Amino acid sequence: MIFLEFDFLRYALIIGLMIGLIAPAAGVFVVVRKTPMIADAMSHTALTGIAFHLWLASFWVWLSEWNPLYTGILFTFIVSFVIEYLRRRFQTFQELSIPVVMASAIGLGVVFISLADGFNNDLFNYLFGSILTVNAADAVVIGVISAVSLLLFLLFYKELLFLAFDEEQAAVNGIPVQRVNLLFAGIAALIVASSISILGVLLVSALITLPAAAALRVASTFKSMFLYAVIFGETAVLAGFFASYYYDLSSGGTIAVISFLIWTVVVLAEKTIGLIRQRSWEEAK
Amino acid sequence: MEDSTNTLLEVNHLSFRYESELVLDDINMNINYGDFVGLVGPNGSGKSTLVRVLLGLHKHYKGEVRWFGTPVRQFHQWPKIGYVSQKANRFNAGFPVTVYEVVAMGLYGKKGLLRFLNRKDKQRIHEALEQVDMLGYKKKNMGRLSGGQQQRVFIARALVSDPEVLILDEPTVGVDAASAQAFYERLSHWNREKGITLILVTHDVGAMTKYVTKVACLNQQLHFHGTTREFEESDLAGTYGHDVHIIHHEHDHHAGGA
Repeated sequence: MIFLEFDFLRYALIIGLMIGLIAPAAGVFVVVRKTPMIADAMSHTALTGIAFHLWLASFWVWLSEWNPLYTGILFTFIVSFVIEYLRRRFQTFQELSIPVVMASAIGLGVVFISLADGFNNDLFNYLFGSILTVNAADAVVIGVISAVSLLLFLLFYKELLFLAFDEEQAAVNGIPVQRVNLLFAGIAALIVASSISILGVLLVSALITLPAAAALRVASTFKSMFLYAVIFGETAVLAGFFASYYYDLSSGGTIAVISFLIWTVVVLAEKTIGLIRQRSWEEAK
Repeated sequence: MEDSTNTLLEVNHLSFRYESELVLDDINMNINYGDFVGLVGPNGSGKSTLVRVLLGLHKHYKGEVRWFGTPVRQFHQWPKIGYVSQKANRFNAGFPVTVYEVVAMGLYGKKGLLRFLNRKDKQRIHEALEQVDMLGYKKKNMGRLSGGQQQRVFIARALVSDPEVLILDEPTVGVDAASAQAFYERLSHWNREKGITLILVTHDVGAMTKYVTKVACLNQQLHFHGTTREFEESDLAGTYGHDVHIIHHEHDHHAGGA
């Protein structure tokens, strides 16, 4: 394939495939825990970190050599623990911990952006994602994050499943709830931050929640939900990647739109099959 | 005086408050191996709160709670205690999880971190499902079962780790009278044949007195704790505020009171 001759496209494709695997896998837990907004909160916090980095780099020039995304990852990591702490601290209306943190983080981010002399091209790429800006170092970092995340998902699968299904019962059965929740928050933060390069801050949650939401419609077991979510996620990444290359469209945007189309097809197919079954049952009567 | 080696649960001078409201006031009770205890009281009497303190879910209480001689704050052998919450079947019905996967969860705490289920564990899951007559449903989606079937699956999850004591919080709510009676008979059978200690939390006093061997009546304070016969002979107006219809039970009591 012609476009694979370009290094940056090869890296972008590799990164896309890795993110297509880990983002929907994290999404499975995010969706069944009924905390879909957490991905948005984390990605917006990454933008705050990036803006903070750009502001610091405006007077400490040596910082320009570093990828601002790493500061974004650090911020996301911290915020994931803050959300988890607030969830634990305020047992009633736990879900409010996410908008509280998200609103504060965006506010702080906008302050940093104005301090760093407003919006520039860099920030625009982080908002919407770009396959043109990735390099070999990004591919290595995201590769390591993907491998570590997958390993941790496998090792702590049973604890994460039990916590997602019934946190109180998991605690009674001796599962270290707080530690496992913190671990998940940490993995989710890493996955969200590493997805930003391709998807952009505004669209990260599309690849985390939409494939998992579609998988929820068709999966009968928890394990099969992972399989479906990853198949839908990789399909969206590949289709979005080629569409963005051949038609010069935003990679994050096309991946998000294709994820939505997959979800729509799955929901319509489910409804149609349900109707056909209902009719054949009525005719049989 | 009871033999302390026979004591499975000790509660001494336990008090608990939610902010300014006193929910449990100076509770003292012992539960012995092999007891089948009915913990009864009207709605809002503190039964579920007491259970949550016993399970270590509420940390800020006064007094002492000991499981198998160990203070609850230092207790780590939770798989010895099976628990079916009142809220168990309020789970998200759309959660894509099978009956088998739900029962397997009951072994996760016992296995510990970084360890996977082996063939013996899988055999144990089958046995637990057989105990509640749900083996035929193991591949079914949990959300598609009836309330009664879901409850049996949750009991299988509590039984799968071979607990020494099983705590059931309002297990017959929403279950018809005939199914509730069959359920109590099954519990009574496990208690007598397998020696499992049972704590049944309920506001339905009438039905369960036929099966339990001890009764604890709670309404913020422990108004009564003794054998079923002593319970039948006692004045319970202070606890319930109305007359209680006692059904005489047919089997022998375990000896000894609190």
